[in-house]
Amino acid sequence: MIMTERKISLPAYKLAYAFSFIVILSLIRGIIFSYEIGVAMEAPMAILAMVFCADTYTQEITSKRSEIHRLCSMKRRLSSIGMRMVVQEIALFALSAIGYGMFYVFQHPQSLYKAGQSTESELQMFFIFLVAMVVTLWFWGILSNLLACLFRNMWAGIGCGIALWLVTNSTWGEKVLDNWNLFSYAFRNVMDSQDFGWLYGKVLCLLLCVLMTLLMPKIIKKRG
Amino acid sequence: MSIKISDLTVTFKNKVTAINHADLEIPNGVFGLLGENGAGKTTLMRVLTTVLAPTSGTVSMDGILYCEGNYPKIQRQIGYLPQEIDLYPSLTVQECLEYMGDLAGVPKEECRKRIQYYLEKTSLTEHRKKKMRQLSGGMKRRVGLVQALLNEPKFLIVDEPTTGLDPEERIRIRNLLVDFSENRTVLFSTHVVEDLAAVCNQLAVMKKGQFLYAGSMKELVRAAKGHVWICRLGDEVQAREIEKKYHISSKQLSEDGVQIRLISEKMPNIDCVPVEPTLEDAYIYISGQQA
Repeated sequence: MIMTERKISLPAYKLAYAFSFIVILSLIRGIIFSYEIGVAMEAPMAILAMVFCADTYTQEITSKRSEIHRLCSMKRRLSSIGMRMVVQEIALFALSAIGYGMFYVFQHPQSLYKAGQSTESELQMFFIFLVAMVVTLWFWGILSNLLACLFRNMWAGIGCGIALWLVTNSTWGEKVLDNWNLFSYAFRNVMDSQDFGWLYGKVLCLLLCVLMTLLMPKIIKKRG
Repeated sequence: MSIKISDLTVTFKNKVTAINHADLEIPNGVFGLLGENGAGKTTLMRVLTTVLAPTSGTVSMDGILYCEGNYPKIQRQIGYLPQEIDLYPSLTVQECLEYMGDLAGVPKEECRKRIQYYLEKTSLTEHRKKKMRQLSGGMKRRVGLVQALLNEPKFLIVDEPTTGLDPEERIRIRNLLVDFSENRTVLFSTHVVEDLAAVCNQLAVMKKGQFLYAGSMKELVRAAKGHVWICRLGDEVQAREIEKKYHISSKQLSEDGVQIRLISEKMPNIDCVPVEPTLEDAYIYISGQQA
């Protein structure tokens, strides 16, 4: 079943555009130091996650398959959506890890750790980046899927998601929301490796993910 | 299995009334649903599949009322082939059907057996490893029908199942539906009168959200008896004149002029002879009568 869901939710064209996106990002987004990679990647990867996941269920609506899905039990329908989300999130997570490596390959960033100006090793930085990305990708992916289901239109899901992205990924968002910003990882004080205040933002993302997961059955039931 | 529709009305948000105070009883066997485009056939089927909730009126299946609380019980009994459906293009026919069967809750082994059986019945066995996107329109339609049959529904709703099929395949699908309808109800909606004539005993004719006729096909044909005429005309100009006055059910050009089959309440004022009506004639007669 999971293999079938993979074929449905991860067609070749989707992987191709996502891979092209991270290649282009790692080529054009200039960085000097390695600690900037996470900052450079978090917000663009959120957009990729939104576009990637918006059609998780709306593809059933546009193809009219949702009329058949409605005859199936809610449990099976939700399990199918859940599996598709997991498959897509794993792909996005793998792409972010590859993207991180591509910044090294294309831009040869300098390491503050090697220069003795930071206590955080490259591996530690990479590990923290992965933790932050899991939460970021999950949040923006599930958000666009939820909104797309609500409006029964993937573009409406992406559009609303981008509006929130613009608000939070801004100077206003940085100042007002501070550590509670959805992009708290990108806005963190990168010079202070002991400052983990940005985790509040990620915990908020996780809580919102739980809330959205709870809302999903109601939206699917109501909107089909 | 019988379906009872009482005083059903469906009005959309844009104030368009697709079904207007309709009453109908659908018995066991293949039941035909005939009507012009926009008559309300698809809306009716969407109500029957629980996709759409009626604005007013009631629908019941074997005494079980269509309401939110009963939907899961009702949905388990239904198989549905929508008019336009695009099944998973990146899956093979076999994968697609296994997936749909799994979603419908059919046990894996049983599902495989049924897939094999219905693929044979629809001449798709040799195409089972092909991707859905590689199939022709007719083949896709047949796969759509197989998916509707997988959970062995007691109430099968098929919206134009023979669209895009060649004559041989149409006959095969019609026979499959007749075989399937034993002790079950099959609601067969189509524009192709010929298909209904071949499989149904009972049918309903819809127009502008209402049932113009519901009953046996023989009765419908009988109602048109004495109102169908054939006349031979010298040229096309004469034929055009006749077309303005009467409902024409067919027109054939031949070496010695034009032969026209027309529907008229009274004998037309031209040289013509009465003929036995077909279902198509009867459909045109009843539609015209109500208009």
